[in-house]
Amino acid sequence: MALLKRSYLTLVYLFLYIPILVLIVYSFNAAKYATVWKGATLKWYAKLFENEMLMDAMVNSITVAVTSSIVATAIGTLGALAFYRYRFTGRKPLYAMVYTTMMSPDIVMGISLVCLFVILGLKLGFITLLLAHVTFCLPFVIVTVYARISGFDPAVIDAAKDLGAGEFQIFRHIILPMTAPAVAAGWLLSFTLSLDDVIVSFFVTGPEFEILPLKIYSMVRLGVKPEVNALCTLMFIFTLLSVIAAHYLVKEKTK
Amino acid sequence: MNKPGLSHILTFRNTAIALVVTWTLLFIVVPTLMIAVVSVLQRDARTFVTPAFSLESYMALADPVYLKIFGKSFAYAAMTTLLCLLVGFPFAFFLARTRKRWQKPLLLLVIIPFWTSSLIRTYALIIILKANGIINTWLRAAGIIKLPLEILYTDIAVYIGLVYTLLPFMILPLYASLEKLDFRLVEAAFDLGARPVQVFTRIILPLSLPGIMAGAIMVFLPAMGLFYVPDLLGGAKSMLLGNLIKNQFLVAGNWPFGSAVSVFLTMLMLGLMAIYFKTMKRINTSVMEEA
Amino acid sequence: MKKLIVFLMLLFPAAAMADGNTVYLYNWTEYMPDQVLAQFTKETGIKVTYATYESNESMYAKVKLLDAGGYDLVFPSTYFVHKMKNEGLLSPIDKAKLKNLDHLDDTLLNKPYDPDNTYSVPYLWGSTAIGVNTTYIKDAITSWQDLWKPEFKNRVLLTDDLREVFGLGLKMKGYSVNDTDPAHIKEAYELLVQLLPNVRLFASDSPKQPFLNHEVFLGMIWNGEVFMAAEEMPEITYIYPEEGAIFWVDSMVIPKNAKNKDNAHAFIDFVLQPAIAKLICEEIGYASPNKTAVSMLAPELRDNPTVYPARADVEKGEFQTDVGDALLVLEEYWEKLKTR
Repeated sequence: MALLKRSYLTLVYLFLYIPILVLIVYSFNAAKYATVWKGATLKWYAKLFENEMLMDAMVNSITVAVTSSIVATAIGTLGALAFYRYRFTGRKPLYAMVYTTMMSPDIVMGISLVCLFVILGLKLGFITLLLAHVTFCLPFVIVTVYARISGFDPAVIDAAKDLGAGEFQIFRHIILPMTAPAVAAGWLLSFTLSLDDVIVSFFVTGPEFEILPLKIYSMVRLGVKPEVNALCTLMFIFTLLSVIAAHYLVKEKTK
Repeated sequence: MNKPGLSHILTFRNTAIALVVTWTLLFIVVPTLMIAVVSVLQRDARTFVTPAFSLESYMALADPVYLKIFGKSFAYAAMTTLLCLLVGFPFAFFLARTRKRWQKPLLLLVIIPFWTSSLIRTYALIIILKANGIINTWLRAAGIIKLPLEILYTDIAVYIGLVYTLLPFMILPLYASLEKLDFRLVEAAFDLGARPVQVFTRIILPLSLPGIMAGAIMVFLPAMGLFYVPDLLGGAKSMLLGNLIKNQFLVAGNWPFGSAVSVFLTMLMLGLMAIYFKTMKRINTSVMEEA
Repeated sequence: MKKLIVFLMLLFPAAAMADGNTVYLYNWTEYMPDQVLAQFTKETGIKVTYATYESNESMYAKVKLLDAGGYDLVFPSTYFVHKMKNEGLLSPIDKAKLKNLDHLDDTLLNKPYDPDNTYSVPYLWGSTAIGVNTTYIKDAITSWQDLWKPEFKNRVLLTDDLREVFGLGLKMKGYSVNDTDPAHIKEAYELLVQLLPNVRLFASDSPKQPFLNHEVFLGMIWNGEVFMAAEEMPEITYIYPEEGAIFWVDSMVIPKNAKNKDNAHAFIDFVLQPAIAKLICEEIGYASPNKTAVSMLAPELRDNPTVYPARADVEKGEFQTDVGDALLVLEEYWEKLKTR
């Protein structure tokens, strides 16, 4: 069993990481259009650091992904709780609407949201981008957290209530700890979705706040520049190192 | 009865409800209504829509072309969901059985690849699958094949790409629900002489059902609208719902029809989901009773 | 909430100071060298904000949704100039403000999509014709008709653009690429159905990649793509078919409600300077409409027929114009073509 477990996990990780490995190797490829190997070079990294527009877009993307995923996780967790535990008018139709957002084609969401923002008189930019990203991340948090809450024994909550716990205390001391893995999963999914959205973002953002995925998809017409491989490699290595560091730091503390 | 004082209105409960209801109403319900309204208006080349009622767009949906487009999208989405479940379930199960300390970093490792641009990842898949790509070069070097295998621009490539793109959306909710599964139940069942199949269908499956449902929905629904990956890896030879809606909005400038397709899709999926939840619940309770 | 806004403004100073002396460009990513932008700011003191789109269609939708405001200078392709002009989204170009207009090549001016260039100034131009990998195809390819040859089964590439693909079908039937007659479009559709067995893919991104990957041997492609592909694989060549190629011009236009029209004119005039135009076409790989700039180019680029076709080839070719509501018919047949 242990061997099976280990080899299966390894196999899936290989599936997930081989394309990333290819991407890293090709970021050192001297060939401009990354089709065949033409020797190793660092020139794309040098070019990347000169490319201010790409770097700015990356910073913008990370900013909006971090903020929108945090906001979406907060509202989504409360939302899952509200939909599961509280009875209020419109609960079921609203919950169904949350699901429809998940399948709403990007173009439809982008166009309808930009119309709404124009009507509301909001200036397109960071704020509108944030609102849109929170909106399309929200269902993923709600569904993940809801699935976890609904698997629990409601007797625990009732018992706490009988002992005089208020709603906030129940949330803080029972539901939050119990749903923590789902909340974390919801945050991760939100961050991932936000970091990679192109079409919705295209419509709802303004000229001063350009994000990385749009810059990259817009390169398609002339061919994606090898600098983008270099940028993705750096981002990947940075996140990987952060995760490893965090893992060992937490371990130190618990000792 | 409570007195309607401010402290009673601003309870935790009401704040939570107000927050999620406001957000859903403003940013989900209102835009959806806008689309629903547009879908029953008439197209106008200059202003996108004119405020004249018309059911033309819904009538146009009866064309068999749209049934084909819908069928193809549905087939891709259903197959992708199944594949993700087959790959993701054992993975999430094993992950939930590894030592606690390793679970978090291992879970993070699942999602980190998805923090690089999807376009760049798809290009990396092309480098692997193409005629002079990694797979074909190895197979030829090993003498297994002479001519390169045609993988790119086939359905196989599309499925590889779709599973690759959506797998974490299956693994994460599955893990979140399997992680709390009490494995003492499994051990107890084995001690009582249950066969592995019985343990799986009677204990593991029913207890992880909410996670399976969440994962299946989070893979299936986005897959219905996805078209970038199938276009790049499948060669854009068949039109999918995502292409159809995008083309109606952007190329043909037919907003009412694009909206109608979107509304129709939404209604249909909601209906399917209602049936799905009901059957799942029935299976769940019947399994529970049996156990 | 107010605190939050102040905090955000501190975080993003660019957004807070935006209303200075700026010009808002709307273009493809890196379709304009950074050096040109920097030099423009240095010489004129006007700050450049460069926003990007990923297709002509989405650019058009966004500009229209913003009521032709928000951006000062946009770079649409041929028939989008026509479409935007027809829908009143463009502001006329004030030619008195452009000192360098004389450098433009007459053959690319006064085209049906914008007579007299009232609303547009050409930026770069190119064509859609046939790319051939001569490693696999030894016979000379001379005509669009060759794409239909049975020996190229599963080896042909088409671009994922309904105007171009139907343009090909219409051309083969002897009509204009801009024909709007539904009966003619139907004929084109039937001809394209016969081409389907040969089609390996519709390239929804850069069409040079399937050539470089040995997945396709010939097909519809843009000249700049072949020029770039040939740098890595010289066996890939570009052929202007005898029926004529489809030509396109990416133009500079000013949306009707742009806020900084003077700055937009200043930018157009800056780009029209031969030295700048030369730099742009060397960097981007597509042809410049600036004849003075072209004469200054290195001979190997200037005489490369892939980038700069012979005059006869240009005259044989056609420029796309807006087809109005015929797009609905085209889209209908496009859906049929892609569900077979």
